[in-house]
Amino acid sequence: MALGKFLRSLLLVAVLLAPVSRLSALPERRRPVIALIMKSLANEFFLTMEEGAKEHQARNAARYELITRGIKDEGDVEQQIRIVEQMIAIRVDAIVLAPADSEALVPICRAAAGAHILVVNIDNRLDASALAEKGLRVPYSGPNNVEGAREVGDYLAARLEPGDKVAIVEGVPTAQNSKDRTRGFSEAMETAGMRIVDVVSGYWEMESANAAAITIMSEFPDIKAILCGNDNMALGVVAAINAAGRSGRILVTGFDDISAATKLLKQDKLLVTADQHGDRIAVAGIETALAILGGSPPADRETSIDLVTK
Amino acid sequence: MNTRKIAYFLLREAGIGVALVALCTVFAFAAPRFASPINFTNIMTQISINTAIAVGMTFVILLGGIDLSVGSVLALASIAAGLVITSKALDTRAAIVLAIAASVGVGMVCGLFNGAVTERWKIHSFIVTLGMMNIARGAALQVSNSRTIFNFPEAFNAFGTLTIIGVPIIFVIALCLILVGNFFLRRTVFGRMIYAIGNNEESVRLSGHNTSIYKLAAYVICGGTVGIAAIMYMLRLNISSPILGVGFELNAIAAVVIGGTSMSGGKGSLTGTFLGACIMGVLNNGLLLIGLGDFARQIVTGAVIILAVILDVYRNRLSRRLSSTMGA
Amino acid sequence: MTSARRYFTDYLGMMLSLALLILIFSLGNKRFFSINTLLAISNQVPVLAVMVVGMTFVLVIGGIDLSVGSVMALCGSVLGTALTGWHWPLAPALVLALVSGLAFGAINGALAVFARVPSFIVTLGTMEIARGFAYLVTDSRTKYIGNAIEALGPALSMGISLGGVSTVVSVVLGQIGLSRTVFGRYAVGIGTSEETMRISGIDTRSTKIAVFAISGFLAAWASILYCARLEAADPNAGAGLELQVIAAAVIGGASPLGGHGSVVKSFLGVLILAVLNYGLAQIGASEPTKRIIIGAAIIASVALDLYRNRPAGHPRIDF
Repeated sequence: MALGKFLRSLLLVAVLLAPVSRLSALPERRRPVIALIMKSLANEFFLTMEEGAKEHQARNAARYELITRGIKDEGDVEQQIRIVEQMIAIRVDAIVLAPADSEALVPICRAAAGAHILVVNIDNRLDASALAEKGLRVPYSGPNNVEGAREVGDYLAARLEPGDKVAIVEGVPTAQNSKDRTRGFSEAMETAGMRIVDVVSGYWEMESANAAAITIMSEFPDIKAILCGNDNMALGVVAAINAAGRSGRILVTGFDDISAATKLLKQDKLLVTADQHGDRIAVAGIETALAILGGSPPADRETSIDLVTK
Repeated sequence: MNTRKIAYFLLREAGIGVALVALCTVFAFAAPRFASPINFTNIMTQISINTAIAVGMTFVILLGGIDLSVGSVLALASIAAGLVITSKALDTRAAIVLAIAASVGVGMVCGLFNGAVTERWKIHSFIVTLGMMNIARGAALQVSNSRTIFNFPEAFNAFGTLTIIGVPIIFVIALCLILVGNFFLRRTVFGRMIYAIGNNEESVRLSGHNTSIYKLAAYVICGGTVGIAAIMYMLRLNISSPILGVGFELNAIAAVVIGGTSMSGGKGSLTGTFLGACIMGVLNNGLLLIGLGDFARQIVTGAVIILAVILDVYRNRLSRRLSSTMGA
Repeated sequence: MTSARRYFTDYLGMMLSLALLILIFSLGNKRFFSINTLLAISNQVPVLAVMVVGMTFVLVIGGIDLSVGSVMALCGSVLGTALTGWHWPLAPALVLALVSGLAFGAINGALAVFARVPSFIVTLGTMEIARGFAYLVTDSRTKYIGNAIEALGPALSMGISLGGVSTVVSVVLGQIGLSRTVFGRYAVGIGTSEETMRISGIDTRSTKIAVFAISGFLAAWASILYCARLEAADPNAGAGLELQVIAAAVIGGASPLGGHGSVVKSFLGVLILAVLNYGLAQIGASEPTKRIIIGAAIIASVALDLYRNRPAGHPRIDF
């Protein structure tokens, strides 16, 4: 009985509010609306991305409108799916997505495509086989992580001797960009003749990387360098090396160029990191979307990665 | 007498409903497209899974217990169902039916474990389900090899997109669970026993009833609803993943408590649970539409949960005072 | 039995389990029983140990604190921002962090006591709120602190670290506080039967608020240890940590029903979990296997504990 009463009141509310929705609906659109959906806004990388996108929109206000959304941490896949659903509901024209999970986001992208919303993939690639299974073709804009990682590795190799032991602390093992960077690191190290003694996952986190580094140092006391999949983990590794009193004797490389890394570079605790230019990645995704909306065929776009040293 | 009853009723049952309507009104003005039919459809879809889990959770909390393992069991059940539904050895019809059976079965077995260990060794359900949370998650990761399962039969995926007079099918399933559960709680001896045990287990036992069976049943029911929720998840997203469901237990518990069920047991209703789930869903949806910064959204969500329960506490005290002055 | 003997047998069970675990892992991997292992484990232990002291008190009064992980992140963020953003000297920044934790805990307690909301719900809400504020304070960026915090560095003198000292001090003070002070006795009384306490004329409210404030304070202390170790402040820190802390306390015999708990046993619980975690990783157990075993261990250890001392618990919980 209470349930019936509730349903009735809900219906009443909906009926009363329907005209109100017209008042607060999105304004009549002449410009396309692009939704930029990122991963964790608690990660500086995505903050940079958001800022870059907003700047671009400010300079190009006549060409499109921008909505930006993020999730609260790297693992909140549910929430990201809900955000995509919302964007479908409010009928944006394109979604530029940095997926939190390469496989789990594919079905909702298919739903978006079904609603005639363009989807552009940035930062972390959607899983190719999952896309193929759904018959989706999603253009990718972003850096070549393998290339960038290889450059980092080459820079490190110039400061090591062949035969030196190195280890890799990688991100979440199922993430495509993590796999790519590990591959790039490995190729660079193998080409230069170093010995990779261990590959451990730090799950993109400072704490786990810290624990991993301690284990690596105790298992391989003569380790000469540790390559990290991102700067967050590099911070954790540097702290572990410091605590063990071996600062300066083990080289550390990072990726991402977060603001904390700048200090580390200056203090010689970090050798090199790579700037993916998050802002450029978002802009590349947006430009791709605009191009396709304007009629060009879908195409991947590669953005640059630059090494950052002291 | 009638006016008294209505006032009493308004305070007890519709209190949370009033909060919900207020929330909807605020969002209708503040957020673009909130009050549109497609967004309501969205909200219904988004709260379905939490509602289903909250139904089972209500039974357990009414007993004075708690189930922290629901998120992990959801993942495990979905993996089991996913493996069955994509099995090459079965034809589509059989695969779908067996998958549903597998999901509900896994859920019920986990619930049985929870209930049995709690009852047999008198360990508090908090601890047992905390352990199960880890065990089920580990099992899900292990069995699936940490990979997502997709490639479900088209018929299954298509069913997930069905709507009945505009209402998404998974919401309909959730509503059915609420109605069936409500029937059991309010109109069967079983339901009355659950309330009684939650209120004072000792006296029920002294009256000669075997309280253990009822308690066990409640945990199994909870596991069963989690199994159904897993199927709903698969219908909605067409994937099974071992990493999903993290934090679902807290959402379910919040929905139950906001809906007026007391954590010490013996008091509460499924209607309340449903309203609680609605409030949480509306809140999440509305805040997302407004585009409130992430941290602001978290702060608001936390505050609303606390406020809703404070409201409920005062509501109860007020209605109790009213009923005592009216000599009810 | 004399009380000394009772203490001994009480702890005996847990120490035996700990010893057994160490033995099993040493057999599985030769390098387990070594200085390196000690170093690695002693890195993770202080943070959990300090927090479990507070959690034990909270569980004893029959409550629960889900916000400790987020409060740790918040206080760390405050510390990091004060040091790097506002350029405060170390001492005032530390005080600010500790006060933040204390205040937050007091708010938890006040809400639970005055608004009559179950602490489960209050701390569920404040867990989100604290996390939100942590992002706000750091502008969602990890803050590298580096030299400013090196004064707290890994080794104070003679190889004794701040973490080690913190662990010993907090566990000892906590145990004394719980078992030998009036405050502790009130806490146990509240957990056993709050009604009786109130009828006896004791003001249960201030005790309860104080307990939550202590929990917040210790979370802040833990955040200082965390930041000192990593030389950085991370607003994402401590996610999910509260469940680990609760698990450790529960393994140590604390019951969510209240009235039972021992700080030293909770600390042993932390050790058992740390050894389990590290040992399983060392023998190459996969993440899934680790989780299954830890889950089973939580249940098993409590079952064992209850089996040995079966008190008549009351079925009602008042979270």
